[in-house]
Amino acid sequence: MRNPFLGLRPALEIMVREGRVLPATGQAIEDMMRPDQEEAYDRVRLGTEHGLLNIVIEAPNRTLYVDCPTIHRCDKHLFRYFLDGSARTFYLGNIVEGDRQTPIHVSQVGAAVVYRDTGGRVRIAKAENKLVLLMNKEEVSFGNEIERSVRSAGDRYIFVDLKEEDLQTDGIKAGKEPRSRAAHKANWIMRTVEKEIAEGLVRVDGEWLMLDGGLGSEYAKDWKEGKDYLGVVKSSWKELKFSVSGGRGAKHTINTYELLSNLKTGQRTLAFGLRDGLIATWFIRIRGPEYLDFPLMGVLRVELPNPTMQPVSSDAITEISGALVAERCVSPHGRDVRWHSHLYPIYLAEQAVKNDFASTEILKSGLKWPLPPNGRLA
Amino acid sequence: MGTEPQQQVQKLEPDRPVGKASATEREPNSSEKFSFWLGPDEIVNPFDIVEADQMQGTSTFGLVTNIKQITDAPSHLSNYISSDFGSTEANPQTPRQGANVAEVNVLANYDPNTPKKFPMGIYMPVQSESPVKFASEAGIHVALGIDKMFEYEAEYKEKITIPAGMIRMSNGTRVRVFLDRRYVLGPEGAHVNIAGISGLATKTSYAMFLIQSIMQTVGEKDVAVILLNVKQNDLLVIDKPRKGIKPEEQELWRYLGLKPGPFTNVRYLLPWGKETQTTKLPNCFGEPPDEFKIYAYSLRDVIGSGGNPGPGLSLIVRVPDPWDTLGALIGEIQQGIGNNEPKWQGVSTWHDLLNRKPLMDQGIPLKFGEVAASSVGRFVRVLRRVTKNRQSGIFVEQRNPQNAVNLGEEIRKIQGGQTTVVDIAKLTDEERALVFGHIIQEVYGMYAEASLDERADLPKKVVIFVDELNKYAPARRGEGESSILEYVLDIAARGRSLGVVLISAEQFMSEVHAQVVGNSSTKVIGRSDSSELSDSAYRFVSNELKAHLTRLDKGELLLSHPIYRQPVKIEFPRPAYQAIGHGR
Repeated sequence: MRNPFLGLRPALEIMVREGRVLPATGQAIEDMMRPDQEEAYDRVRLGTEHGLLNIVIEAPNRTLYVDCPTIHRCDKHLFRYFLDGSARTFYLGNIVEGDRQTPIHVSQVGAAVVYRDTGGRVRIAKAENKLVLLMNKEEVSFGNEIERSVRSAGDRYIFVDLKEEDLQTDGIKAGKEPRSRAAHKANWIMRTVEKEIAEGLVRVDGEWLMLDGGLGSEYAKDWKEGKDYLGVVKSSWKELKFSVSGGRGAKHTINTYELLSNLKTGQRTLAFGLRDGLIATWFIRIRGPEYLDFPLMGVLRVELPNPTMQPVSSDAITEISGALVAERCVSPHGRDVRWHSHLYPIYLAEQAVKNDFASTEILKSGLKWPLPPNGRLA
Repeated sequence: MGTEPQQQVQKLEPDRPVGKASATEREPNSSEKFSFWLGPDEIVNPFDIVEADQMQGTSTFGLVTNIKQITDAPSHLSNYISSDFGSTEANPQTPRQGANVAEVNVLANYDPNTPKKFPMGIYMPVQSESPVKFASEAGIHVALGIDKMFEYEAEYKEKITIPAGMIRMSNGTRVRVFLDRRYVLGPEGAHVNIAGISGLATKTSYAMFLIQSIMQTVGEKDVAVILLNVKQNDLLVIDKPRKGIKPEEQELWRYLGLKPGPFTNVRYLLPWGKETQTTKLPNCFGEPPDEFKIYAYSLRDVIGSGGNPGPGLSLIVRVPDPWDTLGALIGEIQQGIGNNEPKWQGVSTWHDLLNRKPLMDQGIPLKFGEVAASSVGRFVRVLRRVTKNRQSGIFVEQRNPQNAVNLGEEIRKIQGGQTTVVDIAKLTDEERALVFGHIIQEVYGMYAEASLDERADLPKKVVIFVDELNKYAPARRGEGESSILEYVLDIAARGRSLGVVLISAEQFMSEVHAQVVGNSSTKVIGRSDSSELSDSAYRFVSNELKAHLTRLDKGELLLSHPIYRQPVKIEFPRPAYQAIGHGR
């Protein structure tokens, strides 16, 4: 089998030749993000610092909870494409040049969209897999040389300067920390790969695309021509608050816990506007709360692009919600701790990406530091 | 929804892959086994033979032993929860990801290059991702080693292939399978043993088919057949064509290269009965055949004369004899009567032997030589029970050669191309043992003790078919054991060189003497139960295949032959003669 990381070898050789390598103990070590990272990203993507959603973006419904009859694909097959991405980042070591240094990370980044046919059978419609080398380019004199080397290795290879800012990484505290920044940068690269795939899909009208996670501004603002797609958030930011009618025209604010505590299985909430109504969002309980550990489990938050910023038809929202409720069978129970709000076809897309990744063992042996003439790295 | 990309269309071309080989961390492929996943909607079954692409342009053939479905559910609980916490009505929006995975035992590797780059084959594991397809008939012949038989026939201009049935695969492919004459009739190997549950395993039907196959291909002139009819009149009408034979049955016979017809050149030997003297009819079930001979046993027939010994009393006196007391007495009697010694001149019938001197006087047993009177009394009691009290009529005081024949003499008249049916259906167990023992004794004597000149006059091979072999060659030595066992073991061991071939059947192979089963080159198993299959007698069948033997349909058999690298499941045509008692 050919070494899948061969394209990065010239870059590593430059580092060994030009700088002093302090290799990671045990070769490559996986960089982990915080376990509640998804929720943190959600906060960034919501585009609101206060977390108060005070625009009702649907009409004519004004009730807080709406029953959503299940719409099975046999009756109306709404969701056909499911998109997810994944990133796995490894710390290789540090390069020292004089009194300056930079960490070196390599990330396997991928995204896949799966297509579900009329019979429910799923297959990969499109998938991308990238190898990303991340470092502080300006910290070493040969940073540009490394960048050129990576870029010349082919389309599959991406060079990322850790210092560069993006829409997501710098919005969260962990993204600013040097040790975990690489993993967050890789996650942002993953989002861009996902978006490229979403844009490249040739879909027929009515064949909806479901994205894993909320719609950041890369979708809400930058993909105006996109249609028939939505984002599904498994772990919503819990600090959201909602301004709702309290009777006789009065308004009062309720928090997420209060809103969801009365949400029954197969119901959705009222839809609220995000980013001034550019996105309509609402919650759906697809299962529970009975049999689940925590009352907020089994709930999804949907983000639907609303470029006109006008109220969305309540019937359309209910129909989408009914189709999402049907997605609860089958579930990735036992495979993912977020199974209660994870949708199986999204899980399959994630698996399609991960199955394409080289294993840690292969990465470790494929990304060995080349030995300098003296046979020692540091 | 009009855009379902790359919809797969099922086709039936033989070369279409049905899946790809799959090796995993926990289930690697090896030189002996490999696994492959099946495409959606593809169907294979255990016993199908598949062909996988192998290294260097070669192919590896394998026998499917099991198929399992794997899914990404880590536990049954996950499936329960995924079905709306146990709702049986829940209809999955996205069916769970799963794949059917077939497990395969490697049969052979084939190098299609000329000259072969790898004449010994490549037994590297089938590489993961290698396409796997149903094997063709030619491929299956290679896989089983049948192609070597064809090569031999072409090179030596000698027919050695015996049609043994047909493999029917899940894709509809039919494949003829052949036995190698050298391993059925000798000299490389011999004997066929058939086991399976009565009524379901179609043991007799298969034995008859195989015998007809032998007769029609390699043994038309050289092979004599002796059949023992043990049930009803099953084998008493084998020279009569079966009415209503369906066109597809005839087609199957012809497909195998055989003629769908009854046995020809058949003679029937039927037992004398208690009423035969008055009715002139033999003691058989139903109407006797048009032409037959009746056989009977007088005392002289059992004992014989000095130069021409009979089967002997030991075949009918089958009681425990740890000190060989009865054996010694029987020896004295046979020697005395056979040599017409003065002491025995007054003994010429069963009645004489049981009532007169030198063994009895006025109903009192007498001491005979070193044998105590009590032992003589025991011998007489046993013999009286067998030849008088419980006999079917076969034992006669005097046998008139005009009315009844000596079975031994008739057996010595066997000819190549002829089938002799000996009816023992209505006989008692002791009488059956006598008849079977007598037959194999005669045949063994003809072949083992014949001079070269005498051998030239004999058929080159004799095939003896006997059902319920466990009665004559039981697995456990004990009560009822007789000298038959010694003859059967001798035939099992030496038959292949002598030309005496045993085609035997029984319900339970575990109840037949291990040496008989072990010496049977070809073994056939019909449906059997799992407790029986757990016996060591079935160790030649892999555990994966054993499970499927409990589900074999009527008319389906597992065939194990030395040439084949794995046992195969076969079908065969129904008998073309009147099969009264065992219709399938």
